[in-house]
Amino acid sequence: MAIVTEYYLLLSAAVFCIGLYGILTRESALMFLMSVELMLNAANINFVAFAFYWGNLTGQVFSLFTMALAAAEVAVGIGIILVLYRNFDGIDVTEAATMRW
Amino acid sequence: MTTRPRLATDVNYVNGIAALALFAVLAYVFVTAGLEPPRGFGEGSIVASIGYAMFDLVDLVPEEHGNTEGFLVAFLTIAVVLDAALDGAVMLARRDDEGGSTEAATDGGQPLDEVDDVDDASTGVATDESGAETATAGGDA
Repeated sequence: MAIVTEYYLLLSAAVFCIGLYGILTRESALMFLMSVELMLNAANINFVAFAFYWGNLTGQVFSLFTMALAAAEVAVGIGIILVLYRNFDGIDVTEAATMRW
Repeated sequence: MTTRPRLATDVNYVNGIAALALFAVLAYVFVTAGLEPPRGFGEGSIVASIGYAMFDLVDLVPEEHGNTEGFLVAFLTIAVVLDAALDGAVMLARRDDEGGSTEAATDGGQPLDEVDDVDDASTGVATDESGAETATAGGDA
């Protein structure tokens, strides 16, 4: 007996909302990265769930590409956080409020 | 003092209510959507079919796995994007004033002047010792 698709969607919505709450609340740039990752993975859960729902593998393959894109995003994000730490002696995103300093 | 992670208590709970409201709306929509039972994939290796789809070998994908599209162009695009991200991360992480030095930075990204102070102190001791040696040499003469 397969799990009905609604449960996957509820899990995905919960993960997405946890990520959204993290982005709205946290001030550390590393926590921002983790929250964005949560939201991306919520989308991945949806892809896989609907691939199973329609019996079509396209969603699963696309979720792999989303993971690769998330890895690229994190690589650039951690580079930006390094620069942030050097210039502001911290990774508080509310301190870096201007484009130039 | 240990620096274990602690539960953040100074957070804004209004944002939490907003996120919970979004979850409530999404959950209502999902539960009342009236989705049918999932079709599933049937027999056959899903991992093998994913590999075939990723390299445009869609003829080899069995019928139970649906009309899967080819993803070779997306695969190559993601490869280029990952390469560019690696270059970008290295470019961002490299110090500007180091002049392309390849030595490992083990100072945790501290400001450079603090690191220089440590170096000056160590070299200062060395010059003192050499100075003392020259002084004693002069005394002998």
